[in-house]
Amino acid sequence: MSRGSGGGYDRHITIFSPEGRLFQVEYAFKAVKASGITSIGVRGKDSVCVVTQKKVPDKLLDQTSVTHLFPITKFLGLLATGMTADARTLVQQARNEAAEFRFRYGYEMPVDVLARWIADKSQVYTQHAYMRPLGVVAMILGIDDENGPRLFKCDPAGHFFGHKATSAGLKEQEAINFLEKKMKNDPAFSYDETVQTAISALQSVLQEDFKPNEIEVGVVRTDSPAFRVLSTEEIDEHLTAISERD
Amino acid sequence: MGDSQYSFSLTTFSPSGKLVQIEHALTAVGSGQTSLGIKAANGVVIATEKKLPSILVDEASVQKIQVLTPNIGVVYSGMGPDSRVLVRKSRKQAEQYHRLYKESIPVTQLVRETAAVMQEFTQSGAGRPMLGWLQTILDFNVKLKKTKLRALGNMSHKKTLLGVRPFGVSLLVAGFDDNGPQLYQVDPSGSYFSWKASAMGKNVSNAKTFLEKRYTDDMELDDAVHTAILTLKEGYMHLKLLFF
Repeated sequence: MSRGSGGGYDRHITIFSPEGRLFQVEYAFKAVKASGITSIGVRGKDSVCVVTQKKVPDKLLDQTSVTHLFPITKFLGLLATGMTADARTLVQQARNEAAEFRFRYGYEMPVDVLARWIADKSQVYTQHAYMRPLGVVAMILGIDDENGPRLFKCDPAGHFFGHKATSAGLKEQEAINFLEKKMKNDPAFSYDETVQTAISALQSVLQEDFKPNEIEVGVVRTDSPAFRVLSTEEIDEHLTAISERD
Repeated sequence: MGDSQYSFSLTTFSPSGKLVQIEHALTAVGSGQTSLGIKAANGVVIATEKKLPSILVDEASVQKIQVLTPNIGVVYSGMGPDSRVLVRKSRKQAEQYHRLYKESIPVTQLVRETAAVMQEFTQSGAGRPMLGWLQTILDFNVKLKKTKLRALGNMSHKKTLLGVRPFGVSLLVAGFDDNGPQLYQVDPSGSYFSWKASAMGKNVSNAKTFLEKRYTDDMELDDAVHTAILTLKEGYMHLKLLFF
């Protein structure tokens, strides 16, 4: 029996295909899109904001339990786009890792260190056959002591980059095109501009106006570095400001 | 653990005697961004394309060329995440050498140890009959529930790795030690060679032809840097000509 092409198993586990591709990793990316949610993150001059859709499929569901925004430590937030179960595993491990870091080294885990840790873990799943890659794209946000506000995105392939603005999920490409135009001249957004750019990007790409309970917004600011999820009243204020502006 | 289900090698010989997973890994490298290295009389230069997927990416957060020790650096072509594993492993090996011998690790030794790690991942697992394969895939869904997550960082154990694929990167290691400037290329198979100048990734044949023409044994480092940049630009230009 020839194992020439991996015997067809290159689609089932993470071994190379004849073209040098990892099908399982590519399928993991598709799983992220299959969740039907789009998320956006924007970094401003002294703040970072992430926004995601909050789709509650059933009116009987407890709305407060449906969330994709997770605090990892007091100062680090994680927005998970994709399979919620995989997201919760990742969040649990990240929280553990961040807590151990604080204990071991005596200072808070920086944003890029957490992003790198998540990406390295994802890489292991792409190289070892016994675990599949997670179907989650994670956006990490926080204020770095030395470099200010930072936004990182980690994907199932194990890549991670810092971003000025980015998107993940179903309408990822459309959102990135929109954001590229907005961020072309390296604008230094204030806190309000950052939040409103993120929300209006989502509205534009999905072509709908949101009600305050249909989106989730998380922020960190240099003058209040704790990761915070905005309340519906605050979201409403921003939505009003956006519609008045237009 | 789900490992026992993969206690056979994913990299096995084909009837024609080839290790196809390694060949596929090389294909993955060949579709990566171009990188190259040139050994000069008084130093070594390594360079790479740094094309980011969008202008929104913070380019300061991306570093493709990495330091392994104060006098050894490395660049890769292929899968970025895989290269991070090797960089981390190599740095640790260099440090362990220093702890033992109170001297910086020679370039050849670091290259050899890094190559050994890459080779390990091509010879994973004990032998098991082919039939076991099918059983494994069928059991996959069931075992998934019982599989525990394993922490990263166990690669220093002597036990053979189970169910892994080769690394999808080739590395160019540039260093300067008592033997002078050195440049090594390490492939996914774990084989390594010393080069006067080499290139990897896309456009490798054009780049190598260009380097062959331009290389001289007595090049100064500044010339080498200049040539490296020209070679990368050449690859760019060539691509543009292909489309227009």
